[in-house]
Amino acid sequence: MKARLLAPVLGLLLGLAACSGGSSGSGTTTLTLWARDSEKTFIGTIVDAFNSSHKGMHVDVTIIPAGNPFVQKLGTATATGSGPDVVSIDLVYVPYFAKAGALKDITSQTDSLSYKSGFDSAHMRLANYNGKMYALPFTAESSVVYYNKTLFQRAGLDPAKPPANWADLQAAAAKVRGLGSDYYGYVWPGANGGASIFEIAPMVWASGGEVLGGTPQQSVPMFNSPAVTDMLTFMHGMAQAGLIPPSAATDTTSNSLTAFQSGKVGMVPAGAFYIPQLEGSKTFDYGVFPIPGKNGGYSSFAGGDEIAIGKNTKNASASWTFVQWATDMAAQQTMAKLGVMPVRLDLAPTIYEPLNPIYATFVQALQQGHTVDSTVENALINDNNGPWATMVHDAIFNGNIKAAQDAAQAKAQAIVAAG
Amino acid sequence: MTAARPGLPRAAWWAACVAFGALFVFPLYLTVAQSLKAPAEAAASPPTLFPHQLSIQNYLNLNGQGGSLSIGEHVLNSLLVALGTAVGTAILATLAGYGFARLRFPGSGLLFLAMLAAFMIPFQAVITPLYVVLQAIGLSNSLVGLTLVYITFQLPFGLFLMRNSFAALPSDLEESAQLDGCSIVSTLWRVMLPLAVPGVVTTALFSFFTSWNEFFAALILITDQSRFTLPVTLSILQTGQLGTIDWGVLEAGVVLSAVPCLVLFLLLQRYYVGGLLSGAVK
Amino acid sequence: MEAARTRVGVRSRRRVLTWRRRRQLAGLLFVLPALACTTLFFLIPLGLDFWMSLNQWPLLGDHTFVGIQNYAQAIHDSGFLGSVGLTLLYTLVVTPALLFLAFVLALLVQGTDLASRFFRTLYFLPVPVGLATASYLFVWLVQPNVGPIIRGLELVRVLHQPPPVWLATTIPALAVVIGMVVWKVTGLQMILLMSGMQSIPGSLHEAATVDGAGWWRRFVHITLPLLRPTLALVLVFSIAGSLLAFDQFYIITAGGPSNSTLTSVYWIYRTSFVSFHLGYGAALSILMMLALGAVSALQLLLIRQSAELS
Repeated sequence: MKARLLAPVLGLLLGLAACSGGSSGSGTTTLTLWARDSEKTFIGTIVDAFNSSHKGMHVDVTIIPAGNPFVQKLGTATATGSGPDVVSIDLVYVPYFAKAGALKDITSQTDSLSYKSGFDSAHMRLANYNGKMYALPFTAESSVVYYNKTLFQRAGLDPAKPPANWADLQAAAAKVRGLGSDYYGYVWPGANGGASIFEIAPMVWASGGEVLGGTPQQSVPMFNSPAVTDMLTFMHGMAQAGLIPPSAATDTTSNSLTAFQSGKVGMVPAGAFYIPQLEGSKTFDYGVFPIPGKNGGYSSFAGGDEIAIGKNTKNASASWTFVQWATDMAAQQTMAKLGVMPVRLDLAPTIYEPLNPIYATFVQALQQGHTVDSTVENALINDNNGPWATMVHDAIFNGNIKAAQDAAQAKAQAIVAAG
Repeated sequence: MTAARPGLPRAAWWAACVAFGALFVFPLYLTVAQSLKAPAEAAASPPTLFPHQLSIQNYLNLNGQGGSLSIGEHVLNSLLVALGTAVGTAILATLAGYGFARLRFPGSGLLFLAMLAAFMIPFQAVITPLYVVLQAIGLSNSLVGLTLVYITFQLPFGLFLMRNSFAALPSDLEESAQLDGCSIVSTLWRVMLPLAVPGVVTTALFSFFTSWNEFFAALILITDQSRFTLPVTLSILQTGQLGTIDWGVLEAGVVLSAVPCLVLFLLLQRYYVGGLLSGAVK
Repeated sequence: MEAARTRVGVRSRRRVLTWRRRRQLAGLLFVLPALACTTLFFLIPLGLDFWMSLNQWPLLGDHTFVGIQNYAQAIHDSGFLGSVGLTLLYTLVVTPALLFLAFVLALLVQGTDLASRFFRTLYFLPVPVGLATASYLFVWLVQPNVGPIIRGLELVRVLHQPPPVWLATTIPALAVVIGMVVWKVTGLQMILLMSGMQSIPGSLHEAATVDGAGWWRRFVHITLPLLRPTLALVLVFSIAGSLLAFDQFYIITAGGPSNSTLTSVYWIYRTSFVSFHLGYGAALSILMMLALGAVSALQLLLIRQSAELS
């Protein structure tokens, strides 16, 4: 008698277990979304907008400290089966997570998107691994050089004609330096690998060179290439001439931005994220210009986040609904109004550029944007003790250019080989 | 007062104490001062040593942009975990410390050493296996699980300290108690424990401080935003793009974190100081 | 007590055995809760860690069994060995600095008067501040253009323009880290030493004073010897903490300049969480734990031996 009851009871229990995945009470589907701390300024608004316009679905957002903590947390959670439904990842980490199988394959869904071609190409390239799509572009960022127009004017430079090549850049920096012993021409966080790839690598790209070639799964480091030598020599020259504050050598955080804001430094590279901060404490007139190449031309680091569906999700189709919504007009427009660069280059002219004339330069720079596409990006570039960061520091501030390049190239090759 | 102390002339004593006091307090004064400056003045170069204008903007920013985060919730989470760790460690360490010191059994020496091993391994090393274990017993993403983990890693210190405390007490005490008909438990509770109170309080306090400030395990083992503890939340508030730091929020966070700990220390201070141990042997 | 036992005599031998057995059983039961916690949340993960160390184990993806390959690699890893050297140097400097200062302060303010209690609290103030927060604090304090310490030293003409960047050279950078740790931890060691000193019966000191012993002789012959268990506690945990140092280096020097201040745990962190080689990281951690265990055992042995000698 007991055995006869067992089967239907078991069936009932199994059935309950099956439908309890991802729902909360009255049939609403709950999705977990992980975002990084720099997105805290807009992600809440977006999620609220989605929740109120999509009855029956509810997205819960968790904000996580960016950088290594984010990667560790996502990796550990995914490895033990408790990863999020949807996750917004810094685009340079996407190849690693795609290769590790942490993200769901969304190739067919992406193909069905009508606006697929409107996305920024650097983002799309990074989201593609082995011919399959694992994420969609979500937010964009590009690097440009901010300059203090007031200082430029005082130094006898024309604020309407910012530097367009390296020689101009050095000349401008020298003139600003000449204003006084506590004035400097140019600054950036010299000990931060991520900042260096964002802010000074574009000088290499703009001059036709490359820092990391090959394919995502088989990167070919080019740290000792002539184009990189050129850039390091130029930057070292500026440091030697005293145009860069000595504290930049050990700066891993925001001292460069603080220095620029204090009105004592002529130029600092940064992204669009800096604008709200500058607008908030504006004591001088500022402008932006694209990061120049050796003899002209310009480039930028195409950064930002991609949005992906985690492999542990129990609600792939609901997750896709959010992902698709986040890349469409309503969401992108809301984010643009909150100061976030859109990844939809087809929409940028209408929803972003009109908000502030300065944005046009960022979109222009993004179109010439390069990025780093590698499954070992973290160990190669973002690691402040890794080969890229060490090389930048040693070459520019200690002047051991050839030695630093060779050492970095060897280390980088070892990292790629170890996988 | 009859302890071994250099018989310094009073003036020299005061001079030395004040000099050291200044060294220890000055960085904290600077932090408080900085946290009360308006953001613009906080970024000034060169820095001002006194705030020219007082502002609580940095403290308001602890609630996130436009109050998107509620810092009080996270303070509460941290309080629960830290208090749980303090009480849990104190109880477990006292019981076990007494056992190791006075109720020795075969193999207890080896067991003691094995349990001490928990402080000899870097936390980073065990975090992934720990995550797996917590998941297996259904305590992942839970403050209770986090508390149990913290207790485990505070135990070596507490064990060592409580074992020392009990071992230092004269053995006749227990024997007298037994003769008077006390059971083992009431001997501990009524006779030994009151004399070991400084050790218990030190264990509890130290466990509180360490778990209150712990970041890494709290980050990895907790997934729900609402359950994040204070250190994780502060880290989110402090960092902007590319690892830039909002120094004002950081300083305000330091003050917020330090105040409950200091209050606790001041409240429990009298348990450190003698008086309880004079004339211990009846 | 002895008299009572013999009085009871042969008839109660069974009762005496049961009494001892009962105490042993009670001991085991008292230890059990702590043991359960340690087993579940430390020993089992440690076992898993050991298993991981025998594998090539990426953070995400499949793992392959490789036996002791990770350990063999560790012995030839010059980066790891270099980090161990730095950690040893750091420990050798910090440990005596902390202990000496803690002793000085403990002797100064061990009184029960209000003034002593006030200063005691002042010296303890940095202790509740988290290690990570204290690290950020010191990074700010020594910044060339916005840091108060540099500014202060400039004002008293000890430093001149342009201000030095202490964090840009290895020795000053290490000094900043050591300065922060001493500032933060001394108060705690002071309290521990004081607690230990409190448990030394005042009668011993009184008797010695009557015999004409000055404070130094009392300190060396009464305080220090009776303080052995406390010293053992303080030293073992102080050294362990220094050998496992990570947070302060991560935040203050980021292992720089040019990777010259990477500690061994920092190296393990990079292996596991930057390069995602968990298996190798686990092997390095096990090696560190064994080394630390040996060091701690050695310390305890030496302290006990000095007790037997005196």
